[in-house]
Amino acid sequence: MPVDPVTLEILKNHTRAAAESMAYTLYRTAHSTFVKETEDFTTGLTTPSGETFATPTELGATWFVGLNYGRAIGLIDNYRPGDIAMTNDPYSGFVCTHSPDMHIWKPIFHDGEIVAFSVGHVHNTDVGGAVPASLSRTLSEIHQEGVRIPPTKILEEGELNRQVLDIFLANVRAPEQNWGDLKAQIAACNTGERKVHEMIRRFGAETFREGCDALLDYAEAQARAIVRALPDGTYPFADYMDEDSVDGWPCRIMLTLIIDGDRLIFDFTGSDPQLESSLNMPTGGDERHTLLMVGMTYVLYSLDPSLYLNSGIGRVCRCILPSGTIVNPVFPAAVGMRTLSCSRLQGLILGAFAPAAPDRMAGAPGSGGPIMNVNTTDNATGRRIMAAINPMTGGSGGRASEDGQDGSGANQGFLKNTPVEVNEVEAGIKVLRYGLAPDSAGPGLHRGGLGTDMVFQAFSPNTRVTARNRDRTRFTGWGIAGGRTGGPSRFILNPGTNHEVNLRNTDILTIGPGDVIHVSCGGGGGWGDALQRDSEAVLLDHRRGWVSIEHARDAYGVVIRDGAVDHAATAALRAERRGEATDGFYDYGTERTEFETVWNPANYAALTEGLARLPVHWRFFAKHRVFEAMDRMDPRKRRGDGSDVHRMLATLQTEFPQLADAAD
Amino acid sequence: MTVDSPEEPDAMSDGSRFRIGVDIGGTFTDFCLFDEMSGTLRSLKTLSTPDRPGEEVMTGIGELEHRFACPAGAIASFVHGTTVGVNTVIQRRGAELALFTTREFEDVLEVARLKVPDPYNIFSRRAPPLAPRERVYGIAERTLLDGTIESPVDPEDVAAAVSLARADGADTIVVALLHAYANPTSERAVRDAILAADPDLGVTLSSDVWPVIREYERTVTATVAAYVQRRVAGYITSLQAALGTVGVPAVPMVTKSNGGIMAAELGKTNPVAMLLSGTASGGVGGATGEVDVLSYDVGGTSADVAVIRSGSPAFGTGEMVGEFPIYVPTVSVTSIGAGGGSIARVDDFGVLKVGPESAGSSPGPACFGRGGTDATITDAFAVLGLLGGKLGYGTVTLDREAAEHAVGALARRLGMSLVETGESIIRVAVAGMYLETSKLLARTGADPRGFALLAFGGAGPMTACLLARELGMKRVIVPPLPGVLSAYGGLIADIRNDFIRTAFVDLDPDGLTVLDRHADDLEARALAWLRGEQGFAGPASLVWSADMRYRGQSYEIETVIDRSDLAARRIEPVAEAFHREHHAVYEHADPEAPVQVVNLRLVIRGSVPRPEIARNRRSSGRPPVFGTGRIRLDGADRDATLYRRTDLAAGQSLSGPAIVIQDDCTSVIPAGFTASVDDWANLIIEPET
Repeated sequence: MPVDPVTLEILKNHTRAAAESMAYTLYRTAHSTFVKETEDFTTGLTTPSGETFATPTELGATWFVGLNYGRAIGLIDNYRPGDIAMTNDPYSGFVCTHSPDMHIWKPIFHDGEIVAFSVGHVHNTDVGGAVPASLSRTLSEIHQEGVRIPPTKILEEGELNRQVLDIFLANVRAPEQNWGDLKAQIAACNTGERKVHEMIRRFGAETFREGCDALLDYAEAQARAIVRALPDGTYPFADYMDEDSVDGWPCRIMLTLIIDGDRLIFDFTGSDPQLESSLNMPTGGDERHTLLMVGMTYVLYSLDPSLYLNSGIGRVCRCILPSGTIVNPVFPAAVGMRTLSCSRLQGLILGAFAPAAPDRMAGAPGSGGPIMNVNTTDNATGRRIMAAINPMTGGSGGRASEDGQDGSGANQGFLKNTPVEVNEVEAGIKVLRYGLAPDSAGPGLHRGGLGTDMVFQAFSPNTRVTARNRDRTRFTGWGIAGGRTGGPSRFILNPGTNHEVNLRNTDILTIGPGDVIHVSCGGGGGWGDALQRDSEAVLLDHRRGWVSIEHARDAYGVVIRDGAVDHAATAALRAERRGEATDGFYDYGTERTEFETVWNPANYAALTEGLARLPVHWRFFAKHRVFEAMDRMDPRKRRGDGSDVHRMLATLQTEFPQLADAAD
Repeated sequence: MTVDSPEEPDAMSDGSRFRIGVDIGGTFTDFCLFDEMSGTLRSLKTLSTPDRPGEEVMTGIGELEHRFACPAGAIASFVHGTTVGVNTVIQRRGAELALFTTREFEDVLEVARLKVPDPYNIFSRRAPPLAPRERVYGIAERTLLDGTIESPVDPEDVAAAVSLARADGADTIVVALLHAYANPTSERAVRDAILAADPDLGVTLSSDVWPVIREYERTVTATVAAYVQRRVAGYITSLQAALGTVGVPAVPMVTKSNGGIMAAELGKTNPVAMLLSGTASGGVGGATGEVDVLSYDVGGTSADVAVIRSGSPAFGTGEMVGEFPIYVPTVSVTSIGAGGGSIARVDDFGVLKVGPESAGSSPGPACFGRGGTDATITDAFAVLGLLGGKLGYGTVTLDREAAEHAVGALARRLGMSLVETGESIIRVAVAGMYLETSKLLARTGADPRGFALLAFGGAGPMTACLLARELGMKRVIVPPLPGVLSAYGGLIADIRNDFIRTAFVDLDPDGLTVLDRHADDLEARALAWLRGEQGFAGPASLVWSADMRYRGQSYEIETVIDRSDLAARRIEPVAEAFHREHHAVYEHADPEAPVQVVNLRLVIRGSVPRPEIARNRRSSGRPPVFGTGRIRLDGADRDATLYRRTDLAAGQSLSGPAIVIQDDCTSVIPAGFTASVDDWANLIIEPET
C-alpha cells in the first residue's frame, strides 16, 4: 500500500530532522577548525541501495545533496549491526571525489534487515601525500594525493578496527585532527541510526521503508514537473579553464544539453581528455554522479525553491561521459583540485540551461577568485602563522528581473569570508583594501554582480601565499541575451610600482616584507543590452564606486559629467553605437572569441575525436603537441575545418609509431 | 476595544501598590498587573495601535483603573516592551543614514560575510543595506590592530564628507572605522568633526554601540541602532510625557533583548539593546522554577522557541531584526513559520502542506468570520471540536461552519473526510514544528527528554502536548496567564547591562595583565551605568566571562570566569573553565593546546525584588466539570471533558481527553495525558506512563 500524502509529509519532516540533527552533531563535535570554518561536510540518510533520501540544508556543503552511496556500499559484503565503513578513495566506489573527503556509512538494521544507511563525509585538512593539505594542481597521479582507504569497515560490530585506523593516521600530517573529525562522523552516524529507529517505532518499518522510497519519488516528480515546463531542445554549450596544468593550454568542457519532455541528457562528448594535473573529476562513468548533478540541482531548485532536495532529483537526468576525459578520468589520474573544474562545470550547466529559460536564468557566476592562505612569521613572537584569509568570490550573473548579487552568490553563495580585523590580528598581514572590484561586473541591461577585491601587505620574509583555484584571468564569465562578459580575475604583485608582476593564474608564491598583493575575482556576466541600461542606474553605480567614468562610457554608452548623466551626449553616443549587438545568445568576451577563431568548433571536435582514439595515457601529451603545432602555424594557412588538426595528429603518429599501432 | 479578564473589580484599597508589565505585539497589547498587597496577578489585553504607538498603553492604563481599581498614581513600577524599533526596520521607516568607514573599506555592508540567505538558490541575495552604498564615505585614517593610530583623522576630510552626505539627504551618520573596538579615538574624532560641521546631524559610533572585533558585525549593528534611534527616542519621550500626564509616579523602564530591563530614558541613546525585547521577555517569563525548559510561544503567524537551561535562557549573536543581524547580547529565540493562522494547502503533487503562509490576524482563520477563506491550523482545531465558543477575551466568536467550509475544500482534494483532513492538518503542522524544534535542540546539544515544554501565546497550549509527544518530552507546563507571559517577564526581570572589551591575548601572564586592566575599565563603566545613569541603589551583581578559543580556531566560547583570577594572574582556573566549557559544548577538549581570549565580558545586574505571588487555593480530587464535547483526536472520535481554567485549584488533577478553556487560550490534553495544578496555578501536563 503506498504511503498516503499526509504521512509522507510528516515522514519528510522527521527524516529531515534526523539529517539536520546528524549535521549539528557532526559540526558541534568535529575537532578541526577547517570543518567549522568551511562547513565542508555532509550527513544524510540513504535507502539500502544507497540513494540519499534525507539531507540537511542548514549546515554543510551544498554539493552532495543527492549523493549515491550504492557503488561504495556494494564493495563490502556481509554488513552486521554496529558496522561502520569508510573510504576516501576516489577510485573505489565513486562516492568519494578527492582524497581529503572521508566518507563513512553505517547500516541501520531492523529485524535483521538493513532498512537504511546513515552516511556522511568530512573534508580532512590533510590526508598525507606530496604536499601539506594533500591538494596541488601540480600533482599528476592519485598516489601523490595522500593515503587512500578503499571501502573498509572501521568499526566491526561496534569494535574499532585499530589496525586500519593506525595505518590511516600514520600517513597524515595532523592525525589527532583526522581522528577527532572521524569520531564526530561516527557520532553523527549513530545519531542518524537512533533517529531511524525512532521513526520505525513511530511509523512502522513498512511505512518507513516505503516512505523513504516515496520521498525519492516525490522529489523526482517535482523535478520532472520543472523540466517539463522547459522547452524541448538541444542546447550545446562549452566553457574553458584558462589552463589545463601549470602554465598549460586551455581546457574545454563541452556539454550538449538535451531537454526531452521530463527528461534531461547531459552529453559531455567533446570535453578535453583527462589531464596530467589534478583538475580531473572522478565520476567513474556514473551517469548520475553527484559531481555532475550539482549544477542541475542548482538550476532546478532555483527555478522552484519548493523542490525537495534528495537523490530523486537526479533521476530526471542521464549523463554521457566519455572515458578518459576530464569528466570521467581513469585511474590513476589525480583529482585533488577538482574544486576548480567542478565550479566551472556548475557554471557550464547553468549556461546550458540559459537559452531554455532566457528570462529566468542568469549570466555566468563570477569565478576564478582563489581561496587565499598566508603562511608567514609573526615578527613579535617569531611564531609561524598559517591562516586562511579569504575566499575571493564573485557575484552572480544578471538576469531579466535584476542585477546580479554583488560579491558572492550563485554557486558560491555558501562561502564565508574572514573579517579584515581578524585577518590583521591573526594572519600577520595588513589589509589595505577589501571590497568590490570596480568595473568587474559584466555589463548588461541588468549587469552581473561585482567580484570581491582585496589588497594586502606582508611584513616578514618567506611569506608564502597560496591561491587555490585561480582561473578566469583569460576567459571571462559569459553574458547572455545581449549581456556582456564579467571582468577577469586579477592577481598582481606590487601593483602600481616599477616591480609590478602580473601573477595571472599562479597559485603559490613566496613574498617578502613590504610586498603587496592585489587579488580579485572575476565578475558575473550581464543580461540584456548594456546600451539600454537605465543611465541613472549606471550613474548610481558610478556614485557607488563600482563603475568608472570610462567604463560607463565604453560599456554602457553613458556619459557622466560633473557627477550627472550628460543626457544629450549619452543619447548621441548610444545612437552611434546601436547595433553593436552580440553575435548570438552568449557573449564570450574578446579573449575567448579570439581563441575560438583558431580553435573553432570544427577544429576542437577534430581534436577531441582524434584524441579519443588514442590510448588514455597519450591524450594529454598529444593535445599539448597539437596545441603547440597550431600555435606555431602561420595563421594565414590555417584552414579551420578540422583538417589541420587531423594532419597534426597524423604527424604525431608518424613521429611515434607505437602510437599509431595503439590507435588501430 | 478593550478586553480583560472576567474577574470582578477589586475594592479600592488605599495604599495599594501595583507593578505593571506591558508588551506590545502585532495584534494585541498585553498587560500584566501585580498587586503587591494581595499578591495577585491580573491580565488585560487591548488592541495594538501600530499607527499611533503609545495610545494602546494609555487605553490600557485607563482600563486597569476601571477594571482592577488600579489608579495611575499607585503604579509603583512600569516595565514596557515595545516593537517600535523592529517595526521601523521592517517597514523601512527609519533615519536617512550615511556611513563613514575607513577609506578602501566602503563596501563593508555590501560584502557582508559573503554567504547568501539560501545558498542552494543561485538567485538568492542579501537585503539592501540600511545605509545605501552611495551614501558611504571613506575617511582617510587608520587605526592598527593594537589600537595604535597610524594616521589620524583630518577634520577637513570629515567636513567634506559631511557636506556631501548632507547634500545626499542624510540626517544621521554612522561611524564605523577599522579596529575602533581597540581604540575609539578616531571614531570620536570623526564624531566631533561631524558635529562641528553640522550639529543637527545624529551620530552613532560603532565603538559605542557594541565595541567588538569583526567590522561587518559591528558596522551592521551600528546601522540598525542609528536607523531606529530617532523613532525609538521619540516614542519613549511621548510615552514618558503621557505617563506623567496621567500621574504614573513610576520611572518607566523598558525591557531589553538581553532579558533585563533599563530605564526607558537610556533607550533613547541605546535603542539597539531593546530591539528584540518582546521574545526575550517571554523567555524570562518562562524561566521560572523549572530547571530546563523549551519555551514555546505560538501566536497567529509564528511559533517562537527558546532553550532555557537552569532558569537561564540561551543567548545568541546575529539574531535577526527584519533582514539584518545584530550582534549584541540577545536571548536566542528561533522563530518558526507556524502559528494558529498558518494556512494548509495541497501542492501540485497531492501532498498536504501547512504554512509558512499565514492568514495572520487579518483576515485570520476562516472560523474567525472576518473574511478569511483559507483553512488554517485554528480551523482544523475547530473542525475537530477542540475549539469553540468565544476566544481571545471574547473578541472572537468561533464560526464552525466557516471552518468546515475551508477545511472541506482540502478534504475533497485529498479524498478524505472532514475530520480526517482536520487531523491531518494538525499532524503535518506538528511535524513541521517537530523539525524546527529538533534542529534547535540538536544545535545546542540538548536532549528533549530532559526538558519541559512551556506553552504560551494564544495557540501554544493547543498543540503543546502533541509536540511534546513527538519530541519525547516528559512534561508540558501551561502558566496561569499564557496570553501575557512576555508582559509578565518584564515584571520579574532584573536591571541588566552588558559590557565587552576585545582583548585578543594569549592566556598567559602578559595576557592576564591586559585582561585585568580591561576588567578595571569595564567594572568602572558598569558601576557608573548602574549607579549613575540608571540611578539604581539596590543590590548589584557582576558576572565576568571571557570569549575563549584554542589558537587556530575561528570561533569562541563564552566562559564564565572569576575576576580574582585575573587580578592574581592565575592562569589555571581560567584555562580549566574553558576546557570544561569546550567539552560541554563540543564533547571534547584539548588541555595541552594554547588558549586565546578574544573578548572580556561583564554583565551587571541590579536585582529587582521578585513579586511575591500568593499561592493558589488548594483543593483535592477532581475539578468541577464545565461540560463535555465530542472531539476527534488521534484517529478516533472521543468524548472530552471540558474544564474552565478559573475553576481549577492547586492539587487537583484531570485526565485526557480533556480541554481546558480560559479567556486567552485553550489547552488540549489528549488521551494518555494527565494534568495537575501546582501551587502557582500552573497546569502541569504529563504523559501517563
